[in-house]
Amino acid sequence: MTRTDPSVPADLAGIVAAHGKSVAAGDNAAVLADFSPDRIGQLIASADVPTPLKGAEVQSIADVDDGYFDAVIRYTKPDDSWFELRSRWVRDAEGIWRTFSVRNIPDTPPWMDLTGPSADGLDTPHWDALRDGRMLLQRCSACRTWAWSPRPICPTCHEFDMRWEQVEPVGTVYSWTRTWQAFTKESTGHLPYVVVLVELPHAGARRVLGVLADADGVTPTIGSTVRGEIEQPPDDEHWPLVRWHLEGTTS
Amino acid sequence: MTGFRGATSVVGVGTTDYFRRGTSPMTSAQLVLQAILRACRDAGADPRAVDGFVSYGGDANEGLAIAAALGVREVRWSSEVWGGGGGGIAAAVNNAAAAVYSGQASCVAVYRGLSEADDGRRAFAKGHLGSLYTAHGVLAPPQICALRTQRLMEVDGVPRSALEAVALAGYQHAQRNPRAVAYGKPLDHRLYEGSRMISEPLRLFDCSRENDGAAAVLVVSSDRAGDYQGRPAAILAGVQGAAAGWTDSVENEDRYTSAGFHPALVARLWDDAGVGPGEVDVAQVYENFTGPAVAAMIDHGLCPPGPAAGDFLTVENLTVPSGSLPINTAGGNIAEGFVHGIGLVVEAVRQIRGGSANPVAGADVSLLIGGPMAPLVSSTVFGSAATV
Repeated sequence: MTRTDPSVPADLAGIVAAHGKSVAAGDNAAVLADFSPDRIGQLIASADVPTPLKGAEVQSIADVDDGYFDAVIRYTKPDDSWFELRSRWVRDAEGIWRTFSVRNIPDTPPWMDLTGPSADGLDTPHWDALRDGRMLLQRCSACRTWAWSPRPICPTCHEFDMRWEQVEPVGTVYSWTRTWQAFTKESTGHLPYVVVLVELPHAGARRVLGVLADADGVTPTIGSTVRGEIEQPPDDEHWPLVRWHLEGTTS
Repeated sequence: MTGFRGATSVVGVGTTDYFRRGTSPMTSAQLVLQAILRACRDAGADPRAVDGFVSYGGDANEGLAIAAALGVREVRWSSEVWGGGGGGIAAAVNNAAAAVYSGQASCVAVYRGLSEADDGRRAFAKGHLGSLYTAHGVLAPPQICALRTQRLMEVDGVPRSALEAVALAGYQHAQRNPRAVAYGKPLDHRLYEGSRMISEPLRLFDCSRENDGAAAVLVVSSDRAGDYQGRPAAILAGVQGAAAGWTDSVENEDRYTSAGFHPALVARLWDDAGVGPGEVDVAQVYENFTGPAVAAMIDHGLCPPGPAAGDFLTVENLTVPSGSLPINTAGGNIAEGFVHGIGLVVEAVRQIRGGSANPVAGADVSLLIGGPMAPLVSSTVFGSAATV
């Protein structure tokens, strides 16, 4: 049953348990009533909650400081398979417990529908190579300058023969952002996720974007070393993507 | 300085109401037409004598169609500034001034209109994010500006308080502007800090709104400004640009934490205007998001870089009546309303011409900054008669 910190207020445990039951019962009015009013849209779009559900069980409630508490609730589907959501709770100005954020755990990276080669075809070799398990970036055959994003000719020497070369997917975090807002429906179930901009020393310090794997609760630091792994897509509609892992963490 | 300095002036401004996105009772063309007609009324100009049309950012309303609806006598100039984002706002003014200065047109309307029902959601950003962004979950402008702002803060050391000051300054000014969408909705530190994260480090109140509406200004030769009513705002200098290694490179921009106003462009702006950043009385700083606005002020030399930016960028210092650099005096994109930044053009002119809800006393030099961190950026310096 529930693992609860001694510092968790007594009333919160009951409220979280009731919330779980409301979610499992599909009682949307009750669920929304628990949400922080200024976050309702973001919260609805954050969690992927399949229906129908037959049960909810609070797994833990933990004090995460500054008046915030994290609750993990396990939801059971009719076939007895289950998934877990972790919600963060805080008292509002009137002292009422409200859901501040919610996410599916463990975190999994999103697969966006806008993917694959661009209409102009300039980046097609990059995408094709990912299917072969390699990361290729564009490089000028004449002056050897790396080009990214890809260009129709070499901006450095105006050579038309642009080639593609394999790059070891290792680099450093140049910047990062953790996105909480669902800008598209495919984000749901994966929010928040962290995108890193990775500087590649093996490609002339060109920078590539990618999702940081296993980023739940992790705040990256600029300059950290990351290693990319090519992840195969869940279906034929999507293309493989390089996912980045902080060095020293396992996938 | 060049002969361009002060040769052209804005003699009329017009805006529609700003509506919540998707709620405009008028089409986007009607919004643009109403804004131009109001600018003509402000100037005492005959709408049929407008002979030039300039917009930016992929406005759906081509100049020729607007001209036809107005029944103008002759179109002599029709152009749009390339480049996504609001980087075209000042460039569009400069474009109109170039047309007038070179004798290609005599009265040019600079306009921008948006109606979500006609133009679609985020029409101002359409087509700019290819799959090298989107496949990795980067789908919208705030995420790109968040990546750049994160490095601005983490590596350059610009404090969060600088971002907050930009948001709060706009909201504070909006409380005295009944036209502002945020009129009657003040923002304070607690509300700002408690607002939901959009994409770290940007919170809700770090982001501009999206509104339906339109605005327009009229640019004519300063020699002819006396033919129109009201006080003209002279165009002292204008620049647009994208340095090598800046544009369209999927986050490979050089000077990554800048807003894109490279040193040569900024030097040209001040040289041509004949004033320096210290002489700017009031600035309209395009805040697609607060971080880019901060970077733009640093680029222009309006405030120091790094941690010291936080000492300069305070609410007190960025607001009337006592701030040394009041910004976004109508509320800006964040609090007045966002129609791709065109409202900032109107307010920059009003600080010289009159009509601002937060007039800066004795303002002679009014700066307009467009599109920080966008593929194209631009600036215009407006001046009073005393500066010419």
